[in-house]
Amino acid sequence: MKVSLNWLNEYVKINLSAQELSHRLTMAGLEVESIDTVKGDKVFELEITPNRADCLSIIGLAREVSAMLNKSLKVPTIKKTPQVKNKISITIEDKKACLQYVGFLVENITVGKTPTGMSNHLSSLGLRSINNIVDITNFCLMELGQPLHAFDYDKLSGGKIIVRRAKKGESIVTLDDVERKLDPSILVIADAKRPVAIAGVMGGKDSQVTSQTKNILLESAYFDPILIRHTSRKLALSSDSSYRFERGVDQQNVLPTANRALALILENAKGKMVSFSDARVSKKKALQKNVSITLDQINSYLGAQISSAKIKSILTKLDFKLKETKKNSYQITPPSFRPDIKQEVDIIEEIARIIGYDQLPEALPLINATNMKENVRRQKRNLLKRTLVGQGLKEIITFAMVNQSMLDKSNYDGIKGIEVCNPITQDHAMMRPSLFSSMMSVVQTNINKGQRKLSFFETGKTYTKNKEEEVLCLLISEETNSDWRDQKRGYRNYFDLTGKINEIFDCLSLQGVTYEVKNYRNLEEGQSAQINWDGKSIGFVGKVAGEVLNNWGIKAGRFYCAEINVENILSRSLKEKSFVPLCEYPAVSRDVSIAVNKDVSFDKVKAVVVKNGTKLLSNFRFVEEYLGEKIENDKRGLMFSVTYQSSNKTLREEDVNVIHEKVLKALVVDLDVIIR
Amino acid sequence: MTWNFSEINQDVDKDIESVVDQKTLEDFRIKYLGRKGLVQKIFASLGTLSKEEKPIVGKDSNILKNRLSSLLEQKQKEIANKKSNAGKTKLDVSLPGVSFASGHTHLISQTIEEICDIFEKLGFIVEEGPEIETEHYNFSALNIPANHPSRDGFDTFYLNAPDPKEKGVNLLLRSHTSPGQIRIMEEHKPPLAVIIPGKVYRPDAVDASHSFMFHQIEGLLIDKDIKFSHLKGLLSAFCKRLFGDKIEMRFRPHFFPFTEPSAEVDISWAQGKKTWLEIMGCGLVHPAVFKAAGYPKGKYTGLAFGLGVERIAMLKYGIKDIRTFYENDDRFLKQF
Repeated sequence: MKVSLNWLNEYVKINLSAQELSHRLTMAGLEVESIDTVKGDKVFELEITPNRADCLSIIGLAREVSAMLNKSLKVPTIKKTPQVKNKISITIEDKKACLQYVGFLVENITVGKTPTGMSNHLSSLGLRSINNIVDITNFCLMELGQPLHAFDYDKLSGGKIIVRRAKKGESIVTLDDVERKLDPSILVIADAKRPVAIAGVMGGKDSQVTSQTKNILLESAYFDPILIRHTSRKLALSSDSSYRFERGVDQQNVLPTANRALALILENAKGKMVSFSDARVSKKKALQKNVSITLDQINSYLGAQISSAKIKSILTKLDFKLKETKKNSYQITPPSFRPDIKQEVDIIEEIARIIGYDQLPEALPLINATNMKENVRRQKRNLLKRTLVGQGLKEIITFAMVNQSMLDKSNYDGIKGIEVCNPITQDHAMMRPSLFSSMMSVVQTNINKGQRKLSFFETGKTYTKNKEEEVLCLLISEETNSDWRDQKRGYRNYFDLTGKINEIFDCLSLQGVTYEVKNYRNLEEGQSAQINWDGKSIGFVGKVAGEVLNNWGIKAGRFYCAEINVENILSRSLKEKSFVPLCEYPAVSRDVSIAVNKDVSFDKVKAVVVKNGTKLLSNFRFVEEYLGEKIENDKRGLMFSVTYQSSNKTLREEDVNVIHEKVLKALVVDLDVIIR
Repeated sequence: MTWNFSEINQDVDKDIESVVDQKTLEDFRIKYLGRKGLVQKIFASLGTLSKEEKPIVGKDSNILKNRLSSLLEQKQKEIANKKSNAGKTKLDVSLPGVSFASGHTHLISQTIEEICDIFEKLGFIVEEGPEIETEHYNFSALNIPANHPSRDGFDTFYLNAPDPKEKGVNLLLRSHTSPGQIRIMEEHKPPLAVIIPGKVYRPDAVDASHSFMFHQIEGLLIDKDIKFSHLKGLLSAFCKRLFGDKIEMRFRPHFFPFTEPSAEVDISWAQGKKTWLEIMGCGLVHPAVFKAAGYPKGKYTGLAFGLGVERIAMLKYGIKDIRTFYENDDRFLKQF
């Protein structure tokens, strides 16, 4: 919304610089976005909030300024409608979409030049002067905020106006020379044959006022804001009129604005009004609701000490009717153009706003929400994130919306994510059912930029069947930063990733995570596993399949990835740790080297050792896996070290030997291993 | 036979100079202290001396012997030291140290934590809410009327999933963190002080300053006597903590359906001619919101605020393009 300082000055005397006024307007909620100088005039561009349609006019803003500066407001006197006998035929077919339609038929006008004062005002707001009739309608729109339209009456077939929905197949060429296809969702102004204007948005080219025009029909109406908004959006066509109608004009201003325009037309373009109609859906005047409030309420809500006189002055300047029912108790009637004022807080805001929030006191509240508990989920997530950061992983944040092609490229097999009804692009049309494809897109981005040593994690939601669940995705590249003292350390594999997963469970004091051989289409066969915890599968881990890398065009590197549903892990309450006494007695260690069938997993070997090692087994440390030539083809070598320790005595060599022999024997008997 | 001890001492001085390693040291020892060495010869000659000469030469030879022993011992140490020095590596102490590089949380997460920390220290609790929301929580309960433009598909993402509680209406992605206000109010009784960070979604085309997914932080404080002055006091304290004491700030009236009076908070770093940057929206909780949450009329007052995390991070760290956050370039992730 633009406003010119000169124009404003005609209604309220402003004794501030443009800069100062701009500050005051902004601090009263009428944000000035920029100030321009146009031919010596200052023009403000204002951002008016949607609740303040009354400020979409020069007089509306002048009223605000008068309240802010405590100055009087002078508005032009508007004459009553002249008495005429003839009526224009106006039919409102859609009584929900149009509540009032005023039509004036003015004959024998002289279309010509606009008075300089008026055209200067319009041009300062960026409106080109067209002719006196069009300019007068624009002038009144800007001055009073009620859009008007003038038709060339002789172009209206049958001399009648019908306010109706457009019919299927109808179209209109609007003033901007564009042919627009209409449909029944759009409200039009039609003559006997065809639409002559898109109601509230723009008039038709055929019936516009030209230099040849002799007789005009002046329109002033009230259209439904929602309908106008939909039409404007549908046609991607917005105008000064539609902008005001969609925010809601003041119905009580419909006739006065027409009268204001008529007076200006008769003065500047001669002519005579011969017919008049004021079609209304309801004859009843909508009543503004009263609001009762006390001085104490106002001051207590704001934490301020505002005087009764100040409050009265502000509200009166804003055109509110105020009655002091008893001392410091007010009954307030807001004006018709303020439908946003409905209750006490609305009044309080008006007072605060006009005084200026910067003038109101500041105090720290006493915050005493001791009945609320810490959010465990966030605590655990932060612990988990800290652990992963400690493990050298960097957190990524990716879009929660993906598309089918991303999932396809990632060999995703699971259930689909929830579709978005109105995606902005097809690239983001589905809420993701998995984080893996997002991770692959980040890998692609980085590899394309030559960054190959990658260690990432993301915690985010997956969205399937109305359910959002928190998921953790981890990825490491095979290649990593090498240690210059030992170049061999510069690569990673599957175990680097399961190690990190184990750390997560450790940091949350959770036990029992296991890995079970399973094939996945997105992972290399033989290098992938299902992650189990608490008796359930919670995700996968493994080497990203070459096919997936190909699909994504990732030419460099190999990657290990895991995706874990952490919903249950995070929602469980955090386990309190308790101290385990430190053992003061010496430990005895025994190294064990075995040859075992390849199909016997390490887990099983460990289980047998732990089971037979009794309570004295205090530590089990895996040392090495051997797959070399010195061992039979169907076997592999495993080396580990077991430690025995007692918490209450020094173990004797003989005691340890007895247990250890038992362990070794169990390995031979249960798992058919060969002790080497 | 007579012994010129001063000449002998001169010879010793000369010979000890040429001792540089174990071998020359041994040669020296043999020459003077060996079984056939000079000192032995002197002692052997003692018997041939007169009564007068004997004690004098005896004394001198003992002095010589002691001197030689101490010289030998000293030289032995020197050589040993030299040897151990030669065995030590001289480090290039400026070669890069070796470490296991720590990871990083995302700058968005760091900013969220920083903001939450400030409020936690003031006594707030951090809570979370769902991203998939209903029209009720996202709009109606927040006093956003049925035909409000923000309910359009232009401003809110709708999901192809029916709202199980409301017939004929689809679920949506929260377009702000404010629905969390209602959920918290339903779950807890005042006094309550919560901060709700999270992802929000709006169908904005992606450009340098817009993204269809971004992060917000909601704040809500409800008690029996929360005033507008408290809103100003609390948020001033917060802004100074986050941006430093030197900033200036202002509360500018604005409009939000769920607060009244409503304000936007602007900050400025510049002295003199100020450029104001909008950083958050806030206000006192609208009575219609209390009503929607089922709170008795007039019993409580409250304040609420919301801020955009990306915007704050961009201002704080000088990031010009919001897309930087979601691209996840390793070099960006490493910087913070």
